[in-house]
Amino acid sequence: MSTAPQRQRPYWTALVLPLALYLVVFLVIPFIHIVVLSFYTHSPTRIWTPELTTANYVGLADASFLTVLARTLRLGLVSTLICVLFGYPLAYFLARADRRVALIGLFFLVMPLMVSAVIRTFGWLVILGRNGLVNGAITALGLERLPLLYNETAVVIGLANVFVPFMVLPLMASIERINPALEEAARNLGASWFATFRRVILPLSRPGLISGCLLVYSAAISAFVVPMLMGGARVRVIGRQIYDQLLISYQWPNASAIATLLVIATTSLAFVVLALMRRSARQEEGA
Amino acid sequence: MALTPTVEEQGSAPELEVRNLVKRFTAQSVVGPLSFRAEAGEFVSLLGPSGCGKTTTLRCIAGFEVPTEGSILLNGTSIEGQPPNRRNIGLVFQNYALFPHLTIFENVAFGLRLRRVGDRELRQRVGAALELVGLPDLAARFPRELSGGQQQRIAIARSIVLEPRILLFDEPLSNLDLKLRLAMRRELRELQRRLGKTAVYVTHDQGEALALSDRIVVMSNGRIEQIGSPQEIYERPANAFVADFIGSSNLLEATVVGSDGATTIVNAGGLMLRAGVVGHACGARILAMVRPERIRLATTDEPAGDNALNARIKEATYLGQDLHLNLRLDGGQELSVVTEGSAARRLVPGEGVVLTVDAADIFLLPK
Repeated sequence: MSTAPQRQRPYWTALVLPLALYLVVFLVIPFIHIVVLSFYTHSPTRIWTPELTTANYVGLADASFLTVLARTLRLGLVSTLICVLFGYPLAYFLARADRRVALIGLFFLVMPLMVSAVIRTFGWLVILGRNGLVNGAITALGLERLPLLYNETAVVIGLANVFVPFMVLPLMASIERINPALEEAARNLGASWFATFRRVILPLSRPGLISGCLLVYSAAISAFVVPMLMGGARVRVIGRQIYDQLLISYQWPNASAIATLLVIATTSLAFVVLALMRRSARQEEGA
Repeated sequence: MALTPTVEEQGSAPELEVRNLVKRFTAQSVVGPLSFRAEAGEFVSLLGPSGCGKTTTLRCIAGFEVPTEGSILLNGTSIEGQPPNRRNIGLVFQNYALFPHLTIFENVAFGLRLRRVGDRELRQRVGAALELVGLPDLAARFPRELSGGQQQRIAIARSIVLEPRILLFDEPLSNLDLKLRLAMRRELRELQRRLGKTAVYVTHDQGEALALSDRIVVMSNGRIEQIGSPQEIYERPANAFVADFIGSSNLLEATVVGSDGATTIVNAGGLMLRAGVVGHACGARILAMVRPERIRLATTDEPAGDNALNARIKEATYLGQDLHLNLRLDGGQELSVVTEGSAARRLVPGEGVVLTVDAADIFLLPK
């Protein structure tokens, strides 16, 4: 690096400009607006007045909001864990299957993303509802109905369903890069299937696992439709909180503070994890 | 490679027997049935062109492929039921297959850790194995920091540190450059002898098979063509495939026309040749085989040998030590001959030469 301080940028750097411009206009500027709003004062008549205050943040330190925050993070964690459990075997299968099978598998994997979130969630209502398919089968067996909807379990089921592709795709890309001969070498040296997974596949697919977890976790803690429709009023999460503050209570500065907090939480998590990843990668290079 | 005696020899190495092994992939692609043995401590090569089934055979022994029929026995005991991780058969891969996320030390220690070997013994055994392959100072490095030859040695160390019952090699030297390949050949042979391990070595390189093996199993199209010592395979090939695949050879279509005492006389397109073998029926259609280096260019003061042939030089390729000649015989057949490079000035295309071949150097192979 030191030998070429004035390295010329390659000409194709310009190719990112259209998207960069789009993001600045439609994401960065609105977000700055939200951050500014979060320091304004709430006004019952004019929604907000431009008098700076930290009250919107200080006000978040109350029990009811902290409960919502803790629930949101917990749901995100559990959904991520479930996506790992379901996603790993599937990602491994898709990575090692022949191309045609993998293509069909990928199609089915990504299909839920092609259906609108609302429609997909209503599908779950049909399956899990009081008179839904599952409870229908349970009552037909002469058993008690189970409360499958409007609780945290329902939200986790819904979140894991939507976000499992975000786990599988990066994992699959990582596993594809692992030479199958390494698995055979491990087996040949005496490793069982489980030991091969733990000592070879898991460490070598860790970058994919971490990206997948980051994607699923960030998406799950900022989810809105699934918790709203499958969790109902009892399973209140941050997304719902922002929505209510914004459209029901007209507490725009307060909603902005929550939103800012959520963005800071997800981005700082991503930064920390990526920094740790880079450090461990450098350690492995043994420089 | 430092060959200090650090890894104690195992009692007696087991013998390997492959009995009527068949592996059917599809109706068209079948390996076997094939049978061969490797005696205790013997170095056996499976030699053949790619796709001949040699790697499949090796993978069956290692347990990565399940044979359709037949059995594989170690010391007379079948190992079919055992999964690959229970066989304790060392396999050295073509691409080394070192674990990129582990140091060299941890790569070699991999199998020992799985066997829950104590820390002190583990250190001692890994150290001994690294010493044995001559790389005791690389323990803290990662595989990508090593050259191909070093990686291959580590792969070998990783296998032998577990004191496997037998050693399998899947074209272990084919990714190395020529000079290193030749050096590694010698070291590998020495190491195997010293450890006294029974070894099965898969290669498509005939030079490698000849240099390393006690016995060679020549394969093509999923079948065994010949089993024998390097000398037997080279000097008495069982058929045209072996003659052609091992070394280079001249093959002439011929008919047996008679015999006198110790030699058989054949007619190769009008050319009468004496071959130093007997037992071929008159009228049989066969191939007469002679190695290029066994054909001599006659000088005027040398008495004609058993067979004297007139030929014209079509092409001469100078290779330093050797001169490769492509000749056309009077009968129209082409013949390749290897002679000393120093003859290059005299032997130019268009020149006529007289060749002599001893009857003992002409073999008759089934067509």
